[in-house]
Amino acid sequence: MKRTLGWSDRIILIAAGFFFITPFLAAAEYSLRGYGGKGHTFANYTWILHQLGFGPALLTSLRIAGVSVLLLLFLMIPTVVYVQLGGRRWARLIEILCLLPIVIPVVSLAIGAQVAMPKRLQSTSYELCFFYVIICMPYVYRTLNTGLQAIALPTLVEASSSLGATPVKTLVLVIIPAIRSATLGAAFITFAISMGEYALAVLLHFHTLPTWATNAAQENLYGSVAISIGSLFSVWFLLVLFSYLPAIKGALQNKKVKVI
Amino acid sequence: MSQTSVQSTLSHQTAEGALPVAKRAFRFDKSFLGILPFLGLIGYFFFYPLAVVFNESIHDSHHHLTASAYKALFGGDYRNAFIGSFELAAYSMAISAIIGALICWAVVKTQGHARKLIIAAAGVLTSTGGIPLAFSFIAAFGQEGLVTKILLNVFHWDIYGGAFDIYNFWGILLVYCFFQAPLMVIIFIPAVENLKVEWQEANETLGGSRIAYLRFVVIPVLAPAFISSCLLLFASGFSAYATAAAMSNGTIPLVPLLIGNLVNGEVLADQANQGDALAMGMIIVCVLVFGLYALVMRVSRRK
Repeated sequence: MKRTLGWSDRIILIAAGFFFITPFLAAAEYSLRGYGGKGHTFANYTWILHQLGFGPALLTSLRIAGVSVLLLLFLMIPTVVYVQLGGRRWARLIEILCLLPIVIPVVSLAIGAQVAMPKRLQSTSYELCFFYVIICMPYVYRTLNTGLQAIALPTLVEASSSLGATPVKTLVLVIIPAIRSATLGAAFITFAISMGEYALAVLLHFHTLPTWATNAAQENLYGSVAISIGSLFSVWFLLVLFSYLPAIKGALQNKKVKVI
Repeated sequence: MSQTSVQSTLSHQTAEGALPVAKRAFRFDKSFLGILPFLGLIGYFFFYPLAVVFNESIHDSHHHLTASAYKALFGGDYRNAFIGSFELAAYSMAISAIIGALICWAVVKTQGHARKLIIAAAGVLTSTGGIPLAFSFIAAFGQEGLVTKILLNVFHWDIYGGAFDIYNFWGILLVYCFFQAPLMVIIFIPAVENLKVEWQEANETLGGSRIAYLRFVVIPVLAPAFISSCLLLFASGFSAYATAAAMSNGTIPLVPLLIGNLVNGEVLADQANQGDALAMGMIIVCVLVFGLYALVMRVSRRK
């Protein structure tokens, strides 16, 4: 006997789909309204582009997200490879440590960061990169770990070193290409979280895209809705594009961990 | 003589036994180095700020040890904020857990593409929360929003007729459910997938009704996963900041918003450590919730 879709299941799914899609369609309609709510235009979208703060905020967000991705991969790929190869006894510790950023509210971290971090670091928006690395660590660890478990890591490393490759060469030329889809998934989830993160950015007084959008809302709500819809739809579009890579799906499902 | 011999045997023994121990300790140190960069980063950018929060929360502005900031949590605005956050987390948990579980129940019966699509969509909805979600809902459910207008003009239901307003507690609750319910789908679906079709067949062969199947198979099997998923939802709702901040300008009594206000300089001189105590309060609640979660998982695994 196979599980079959009954009429009640169909009603649940259709109702759920309806309830989850409608608000976004309604918001999209709102973002296209003309001045004073009359007619429909792209005026709100062009309004965004003419705002002085928008360009710098977007650039800051992109820069921070890019650096976070690089930093996180640079840190986590060697660490996870190391744990799988020789440092097995540390796997449990790392798993528990990687869980904590999910448990501890980001707001609490922000209030500590404001006092604890040296002034020199606080004066540059790159400070956020380090905290985004912490926030994204759980998802990245899981994604990379799953990716590495799927390949014959010890065999590859042995083969590579017996052919005379240095550990760094092995890492760059053998391991990273072998787990490229997991790496890409980890990079994507880090990029998406860094681009959308709000709490740390606003509490540490940096001007990123999400903080700009909330400020702009006080001036022009239509514009803020437009930028929200624009960013949501572009992320979804990218995801559909990337969803052919299995690792992305894995990363998304891991996002809110199956803990312990 | 006998003493020395005992001593010598002892020292001999320890020397012999010590060698592997020393070797082990040496290996221990070396393997530790490999995770040092990781430990350094998480130590400096995660544990150190949290330690500072704790330290500041137990000292007043004159560096004297005090618990007054913690005592203040039990009265006035701070108490209300904790109650508000508890209510928001509990309501959004209850609604999202039921909606999410129902969706899981239906999703496991779909196959192939439909199922992949639903799970991917749930993943996307949970991870694109925050600011864009808040503004989308302000647009859709606001006074001028399309959803509000359709409900009023087609279904003659004025959602603004009662207590609801997109900018108040109920509006925030609505938005929270929209990212918590998909989260429930993602974390609860593995448990529902583990329900074996054979159990349902066995129930039917033994003459059990649908209710008996629910009562004696489904509920006992799914209960631990359901409870632990609820705890995760509670923690997620309790600590979320961005959505509430964007929707209320910090005016609704919620702990994260209050911390945000204190951080943004709306502080009196004698409350310098109040934000830290609030942050510690949140951490304590979240750690307790996750402790319960770990406990439920352990008990259910032992069965």
